[in-house]
Amino acid sequence: MDQSRQITAMQAGAIMGSTIIGVGVLPLPLFAVRAGGSAAPLVTLIGLLVGSIGLSIIIWLGIRFPRKSIIEYSEDLIGRWPSWIGSLLIIGFFAVLTSLAAREFGEVVVTSVLKSTPVEVTVIVMLLLAAIATRNAITTFAYMHYFYFPLLLVPGLLIVALSLKNAEAINLQPIWMQHSHGVIRGVLTIAALFQGNFIMTMVIPSMIAPRKSIKAGFWGMTIGGGLYVVIVAAAVAVFGAEEIKNLLWPTLELAKATSLPANVLERLDAAFLAVWVTAVFTTLLTSYYLTIYATRQIFRLADHKMLSFFMLPFVFAMAMMPQNIVQMYDIVEQVGQIGLCITIGYPALLIMISLMRKKRGKPVADQ
Amino acid sequence: MPTSSYLKIIYSVMMLLMASSLLTGCWDRVEIDERAVVLGVSIDKAAKDEEEHESEVTHVEGSLPAPVKDMVHVAVQIALPGRIPLGPGESGGASGNPGQTLWVVDVFGHSIDDAFMNLQQQISSKLFFGHLRVIVISEEVARRGLANINDFFRRNSEVRRMAWLMVSKGNALDLMKAAPKLERIPTLYLMSTLDEGIKMGKFPKDYIGIFWSNMSKKGQEGFLPYIELKKSDNVEIKGLAYFKGEKMVGATKPLEIAGYLGLRGINPAGYRAVITIDNPPGTVITNVAHRSSKIKVRINKGIPHFTIDVMLEVNVEEVIGGESLAIDNPNILTEIEKKQNEASVKFYEDIIKKTQRKKSDIFGFGEYVRAKEPGYWKRHIGTKEQWEKRYPDATFDVHVVTKIRRIGMKAK
Amino acid sequence: MPIFHGTNTKKHQYKSTDAPPSEFLASHKDDRINESIEDTIAFIMKLIGSNTDLTTRRFRVFGEYEAVLFYYTNLVNHTNINVDILKALMYKPDHLSKKTIEKHQLKDILLNDTLYQSETKLESNAALLVDGIMRGGTVVAVEGIDEAFVIGTRTIESRSIDQPATEQVIRGPREGFVELLGTNISLIRYRLPSADLRIDAMEIGQRTKSKVAICYMDGITNPALVKDVNSRLSKIHIDGILDSGYLEQFIEDNHFSPFPQVQYTERPDKIVANLLEGRVAILVDGSPLALVVPTVFNQFYQTVEDYTERYLLMSAIRLARLVALMFSLIFPSLYVAIISFNPELIPTEFAVAVAGGRAGVPYPAIIEVLIIETSMEVLREATIRLPQQVGGALSIVGVLVIGQAAVAAGFASPITVVTIALTTIGSFATPAYNAALALRLLRFPLIIMAGLFGLYGIMIGLILIANHLLSLRSFGVPYLSPLVPGNFEGMKDLIIRGPLPWLKKRPHFLQTTDRTRFDEQQPQPSPSGREPELLKPLKNDDNGE
Repeated sequence: MDQSRQITAMQAGAIMGSTIIGVGVLPLPLFAVRAGGSAAPLVTLIGLLVGSIGLSIIIWLGIRFPRKSIIEYSEDLIGRWPSWIGSLLIIGFFAVLTSLAAREFGEVVVTSVLKSTPVEVTVIVMLLLAAIATRNAITTFAYMHYFYFPLLLVPGLLIVALSLKNAEAINLQPIWMQHSHGVIRGVLTIAALFQGNFIMTMVIPSMIAPRKSIKAGFWGMTIGGGLYVVIVAAAVAVFGAEEIKNLLWPTLELAKATSLPANVLERLDAAFLAVWVTAVFTTLLTSYYLTIYATRQIFRLADHKMLSFFMLPFVFAMAMMPQNIVQMYDIVEQVGQIGLCITIGYPALLIMISLMRKKRGKPVADQ
Repeated sequence: MPTSSYLKIIYSVMMLLMASSLLTGCWDRVEIDERAVVLGVSIDKAAKDEEEHESEVTHVEGSLPAPVKDMVHVAVQIALPGRIPLGPGESGGASGNPGQTLWVVDVFGHSIDDAFMNLQQQISSKLFFGHLRVIVISEEVARRGLANINDFFRRNSEVRRMAWLMVSKGNALDLMKAAPKLERIPTLYLMSTLDEGIKMGKFPKDYIGIFWSNMSKKGQEGFLPYIELKKSDNVEIKGLAYFKGEKMVGATKPLEIAGYLGLRGINPAGYRAVITIDNPPGTVITNVAHRSSKIKVRINKGIPHFTIDVMLEVNVEEVIGGESLAIDNPNILTEIEKKQNEASVKFYEDIIKKTQRKKSDIFGFGEYVRAKEPGYWKRHIGTKEQWEKRYPDATFDVHVVTKIRRIGMKAK
Repeated sequence: MPIFHGTNTKKHQYKSTDAPPSEFLASHKDDRINESIEDTIAFIMKLIGSNTDLTTRRFRVFGEYEAVLFYYTNLVNHTNINVDILKALMYKPDHLSKKTIEKHQLKDILLNDTLYQSETKLESNAALLVDGIMRGGTVVAVEGIDEAFVIGTRTIESRSIDQPATEQVIRGPREGFVELLGTNISLIRYRLPSADLRIDAMEIGQRTKSKVAICYMDGITNPALVKDVNSRLSKIHIDGILDSGYLEQFIEDNHFSPFPQVQYTERPDKIVANLLEGRVAILVDGSPLALVVPTVFNQFYQTVEDYTERYLLMSAIRLARLVALMFSLIFPSLYVAIISFNPELIPTEFAVAVAGGRAGVPYPAIIEVLIIETSMEVLREATIRLPQQVGGALSIVGVLVIGQAAVAAGFASPITVVTIALTTIGSFATPAYNAALALRLLRFPLIIMAGLFGLYGIMIGLILIANHLLSLRSFGVPYLSPLVPGNFEGMKDLIIRGPLPWLKKRPHFLQTTDRTRFDEQQPQPSPSGREPELLKPLKNDDNGE
């Protein structure tokens, strides 16, 4: 058995699903409603489709070069130095993404639960958690996602199911967008939440059957993105579009408005937030792993263990850059949109060159 | 092998050091018994002569601009740990005197937060709003507007969306001081009055979160329970206090809650109706067991026209008319149904007219226009203010179908 | 007539050497004995002659050849030596009584015609002879033969086969391993009379030279696994192995993990079940606990009884055990987090009541919980070590002190005591002691995390634990198999215990050579086919009466 290829299609799907479900879910209904009002679920769906385009390009490339990651095959395609620029951009972008996700969650925690804890502490705790976990091999990385993925779906779906009794279908109508301004921006913001899928460029070289990554991608996007749509729909149905515009984290507010049957827990926000640590952890794990792994490959290092702590101070410093929560969300949106160029534009460029030059990698015997 | 295990030891020592740096503080640990658990809040308008009692905690007179608003008189109910026995029945519970289980403190302030800060200055434990279940505001405050109150409670992450906000007829502070006999904690009695009301079909679900949502909606106005303190410290649900924007504009009668519930088709149903029939003469009281309603909207000559079909399933509960009226006859039942239909149509139309006069669409008819006729909404309405203007012009068509299902254990 | 020499020949020829016997032996390990028994006696006396329990007995074989016999008095069966060795050697066998025996024939005759002992071999290496004596053998050296007989005469007193004390079942076999390796192997062989059962032996421990048996099923167990086990065992360097627990600590994958990566059991039936699944069992002479590798986490909350009782009931009980497992890990920390950080989660009435119960307790919840938890651990440790009669008294004291007095003194709140009690009970419900121990230990960091960050801290702690479990391997097998990395066949026996006919496959993660447990084609008693027979006879009987 090929020891370096151990990741199954199901694990790959779980990696994507649990990467998608992260801290972005908390403000997601707000982004969607700002863009589309009561058509928020539709906006989310369009964002999902845009994200899927990016993913399919990545998977296409991955199948053409089943033994290499994007760092490696980009060298084959566009030469060493141009590819270095692309790879450095990827590393930088995912480092920023890691720091922003950690900061965003830190802010959520400090605003809603641990009010007098310094935000630095919550951020560094999350980053450390991710850094320790990135020290493992990619198989263990896959195991982690595979293990946590079902656990992420439970709180999400539970909140949705429990909030159904307060839902009103009329809040979801009309389901079509009534105005066009801001829709593109909203769609891009939501599409940016799917950027963690870029990890597939690192996962495919370790998959038992790279061709199955299509199936994995489909299921990962369907379940992860499906949860997005369901949560947005539930939030809009319960609160109505106008109320959501008043809420910073509508998903959290949804948890606050629901209680378990028989009052086992009277409100779920703190519990939900606690469970959501897992979701944030998996997302951070992916983006940080990507950063570390890409750095390792670009510098051709044998081991990435030391890197995971070496990069930590930089990521932490970046996380502390935004001055306040409003500025942070501005940066999150801008970085997300720039990131789309890197995570969709760059692979698209590569696939075009690959098609023109008719280059492909050595195939792998699928089991 | 040995080198890697040494490395591992070094790592773990490093990790421990990093972790121990976290141990420097337990920033947020506040024991449950160190918290002043606020169970209820009442908000009144401060009388002119009371304003001098203000303590300057958030601002110093003259140096910082005080909000140019009327001052509020805020009272809180704080649970006294130790006074409320653990477990059922131990020491007989609180025997009605709120002084035993609760502590009611009142302060003045320019705004809600200002008042709470003044209060915090007077109380050693940290005020904790996580168990705030009831906020009572006096009608006077409600009529002046809830903007400040809503803003404070929305921003505060501790406040739950399942708390009750209610408007009291008269002084709200009295409700905090009242001591109903049924519960150990008076606030919980107030809360369960409404919660049980929902279960008995006497009141719609109208937690503070739902009120906020309704208030935000473009085609709907919020409403709150309107309550009054009665003689033996019990509380009566007087009706719905309905709002226009953030200001209360009126209150309904208790039975008109049934009208709201019927028009929205909310179950379970719980109200009774007195029906008098002429042939044979007699009066019965019917109990509505199940409601359903269907609201349709169409645009008629530029004005939204609503068709509302209400279906009621009722049981006969009491015959007042004496022996002459035997209701084991289907014809008589049909007669009762017919009478109730007529009465209900008029009843529902009256309620709608009443809210139309006040431009307060608590039923959310505007939402139907927004949802079903988005084109019209976009062209002619678009904002909440526009709908408030348009609502009185809307026309309605109410149809009621009543079905009597059961007549109780008695055969006739 | 045989000449009797005194058996106490201690003073005789003893010369003290500087080196201890073991080093002397090591330096002379290739020495061979010669035909002179005096040399042999001198050699052995020099090495171990100072021990009072060594018996040296001179006699004459067939009345003509000088011979000597060595053994440790307390390790052997004396009747056996008297009747089957001494007597047999002194008298010629009947069918040879007429013949004269030449010197060169002697060795062959002694081995093939005289000694009644089946476990007899010829050995010339002096070191091995000494070793034979050490292990309870009897060494017979005869003048004129350049080899000596090593005869297995060992008899060790041992306790009888008993109920396994730590793994009792209501339904299932009642035999447990004892200390003697031979008895233990017999218990396994008797349950698994299969030619495929292989038992490899090995000696570990420079001084104890403990016999270690590696058992596996040929044709089922993955050969790579057996190789791995052998190579890990052969790398052990230690002076003594006193229990299988010593071995465990050498062969486990991660020495820093609190979680056991090797399972131990004293039930032969459990060993057989594991062998059939394709695992390797390791038995050590002197230890009643056998090791099973590789081990995955789910083995720690499963018991033998899960399979002997019907599946529906045992599935429910297994679920209860899992709940208990979670309880024992997170319950106190959850309590601390809710009391100190998020009291808004519990119902208002309860929260107010809890606040009432805690009013007057001077410490924060975390300190209170830590104190009670620690005293609980102390109490538990005290009860385990004490003889049963005293233990009962102690537990009464514990109950009184911790349960009643602490609350009455305002030292702890009643709800804290309830929480700790539930936790303790939860940790007792985990069948594997070592796994329960790990969770008990991990509870403390979790409590501290809860005291620092509330629910958020608990979650961080749990994620760290889960990540550790996910990166853990036991002999290359992921520790959380078959949950991760995902095998649906395995899930039938994970949280629930599927009906036995469903469990056709051996655990996938063990990568066995033979993946299926049993063949479906084999005729199985079908209930439908049997039914008519069962229903038929009653009627006839009635008529006959």
